[in-house]
Amino acid sequence: MPGPLDGVRVFDLTLWMVGPWASTQLGALGADVIHIEQPSVDPRTLGAGVPPTINGTSIGYMTWNQNKRGLFLDLKSPSDRQIAYDLLQTCDVFLINMRPGAAERMGVGYEQVKAVNPDIIYTAITGWGEVGPMRDKPGADVQAQYFTGFWSVSGSEGGRPEVYRHMAQIDATTGNVAAQAVLMGLLARKRTGQGQRIHVGMLRAGMALQSGRIAEYLSTGALHQPQGSAAFATAPDQAFQCQWGDWIGVSVTSEDEWQRFAAVMRQSEAETEGINDLATDPRWSTNRDRVARRTELAAMLQTGFLQRPRHYWMLRLSAAGVPCGYPISFETLQHHAQAVENQYLREVETSGWGKVWTGGAPWQFSGTPARWFGACLPGEHTGEILDELAAHKAAAEEPAPVIGD
Amino acid sequence: MPGPLDGYRVVEIAEGVAGPYTAMSLGDAGADVVKIEPPQGDRSRDWAPSLDDDSPVFRTLNRSKRGIVLDWSSQRDVEIARRLLAQADVAVVDKYGLPQELGWERLDATGLVYCAISGFGPQGPWSDRPASEIGTQMASEATSSLGNLGEPPVRHGSDIGSVFAANNAIQAICAALYARDDSDPSNPSGGQRVEVSLFGSLIAMRSTLWVALSNPDEWWGFHLDSYVKPPDHGYQCRDLPIYFSLARIRGEAFESLIDELGMDWARQHPEYDRLRTDGAGGAGRYAAELTPLWERGFANFDADQVIDIVERHGGWAFPMHDYERLSKDPQVEAVGAIIDLEQSDGSAMRQIAPPWDFEGTPVPTPTRPAPRLGEHQDEVLGELAARS
Repeated sequence: MPGPLDGVRVFDLTLWMVGPWASTQLGALGADVIHIEQPSVDPRTLGAGVPPTINGTSIGYMTWNQNKRGLFLDLKSPSDRQIAYDLLQTCDVFLINMRPGAAERMGVGYEQVKAVNPDIIYTAITGWGEVGPMRDKPGADVQAQYFTGFWSVSGSEGGRPEVYRHMAQIDATTGNVAAQAVLMGLLARKRTGQGQRIHVGMLRAGMALQSGRIAEYLSTGALHQPQGSAAFATAPDQAFQCQWGDWIGVSVTSEDEWQRFAAVMRQSEAETEGINDLATDPRWSTNRDRVARRTELAAMLQTGFLQRPRHYWMLRLSAAGVPCGYPISFETLQHHAQAVENQYLREVETSGWGKVWTGGAPWQFSGTPARWFGACLPGEHTGEILDELAAHKAAAEEPAPVIGD
Repeated sequence: MPGPLDGYRVVEIAEGVAGPYTAMSLGDAGADVVKIEPPQGDRSRDWAPSLDDDSPVFRTLNRSKRGIVLDWSSQRDVEIARRLLAQADVAVVDKYGLPQELGWERLDATGLVYCAISGFGPQGPWSDRPASEIGTQMASEATSSLGNLGEPPVRHGSDIGSVFAANNAIQAICAALYARDDSDPSNPSGGQRVEVSLFGSLIAMRSTLWVALSNPDEWWGFHLDSYVKPPDHGYQCRDLPIYFSLARIRGEAFESLIDELGMDWARQHPEYDRLRTDGAGGAGRYAAELTPLWERGFANFDADQVIDIVERHGGWAFPMHDYERLSKDPQVEAVGAIIDLEQSDGSAMRQIAPPWDFEGTPVPTPTRPAPRLGEHQDEVLGELAARS
């Protein structure tokens, strides 16, 4: 069965992560994504060259260019630029993430692309926006993490805030937001028949990701300080250590869940003062009371959790409908039924690097299933795509058959 | 001019972060969103801190919607929800106690895109387990990018699992609407159920790590080192922390940089060769070892001065903003990232703007604040009656 974007074609002039991740999503949704690279590209610079490599190619390129076909085009050469324009006539979406002005210099600014295809959904992704004093600064995940305060709300209890040591979350968020914008543009075109230009920047996408925490600051003027595994808005909502030293994460986010949590703690018969009276103790009446006395509550609960193994708590809390979970590492997750059966984590074949593990499609469609396949080599499908284009042009130039006499 | 989702009708039956964020975004983009709350209200109204008896999270994630209250213990209310869903283009539901009659299989709505958001995904042994941010951050190993190995887990303080899931839900909904057959506008067909989860979304966001762990040429690089590196706090200057990379600063430019930072002492340091070549700031191979050296030099300068010196030598450097400095930054103001949204009670509230710019179908600055509990009951039910 074809995916939801079956029949949609994307001209993918993207590099590093943020743009390529957007088109990886569109490809998974069934679009024919044609990823452009310069024929002279130095393979060591693919995927920004981020280590480690597999067979000499950055794992960044392999991750961020899944679900695509590869085409070599040199946009500085007039003949290749003509091929680009011919190809753009067959495309629905144009995607680029370069600094403001770069597209125009390559002959693929919005006005130039619109001239060959007025229906195109032209989407530009920038780091900091298209206006303002920082518009020309480089922007990648690392910089966006620091600048947007993404680092400022995490860290050990009582310690300094710390950077999230996986520098891809704001890149990928911006890529996802750009893919949304493309889809919204396609929906608007379905209704109005009009193409348009769209812009998405990492700064605003990264801030939107933090909407809740930033709104709390803007409302109160108080900056959050790191508090380990504990939530800011709800309590108890954190990790507790269990009898054999392992950890469980437990979240109580409504009054109903609090009552059920209190019942589980009472039934556990853990010997901790106050643990039988959670539901009635006035200190814990409301979520805001519990948040205000979070450390006092957590200390008491911790002595209770230490008296039973994690498996006990997982079963009891799950049965009571209280959200919980525990740390799982990659080696276990690869084989974990929950990850495998939903195809969230999977192994795919690639053209130049053998089998690699990767996250899969994060959505399940009952009618038009998504797909997932390994990254293309740069330019891998050049011959195939140019043949298709030639056939398309020949068909378009063939005179229409004359009907009647 | 109307926004890109003008004309679509959305019904939200969800609480907390993921579902409300999804429907807020659809509403910001122009869809008509009706939020159904239980009689006690969305749980996030009770979250901390209190903002006139709601919370900042609730007030933010429920703008651009109208709100009604329905009680699932009343068959009449369940029936009202069924009729609202039957007339909608999109349903956004989560797993907080939805009546069986409102499951996708039971609805008679051929064009409906029904988006279900769960904690762990629709298949597998945990499909019925409820969602939470810390539970799914731990299960997807997202917490292994923070804190120290062997010490208590550290969560990411933003609701990343929920917002990642929401971003995926928005994609899935828009893609399914695109695939729908609208040739008869009054009776679209080809609706479907789409499912996303916090767990699956967190795993997808760590894809670069999964590829890195596959079979690399060498077992190093920040995607792998992140598991064993100590916490990374950036580079403290005299006043504020920054983050920087030497990028292409080598040779003479590097020596000049060291001179200008007054770091002549570093030339005698046994780590000097690494200092010259490990160019990638906190992502560098030896970042943990080299940070104290850079901080010793930076301690004599304010952040602005260090940023200037590094940039003049060909590297990059950025201030590490907390939310206070972020909210006052000229760039944030220039791109309009923070909006003022007048609340139902007339008070002012600042929130984060929608993240997309559409030139053909512009998204206006949101003007509809989060609803008071049941604020639009009569209006929405009146419209339902008029359409039926």
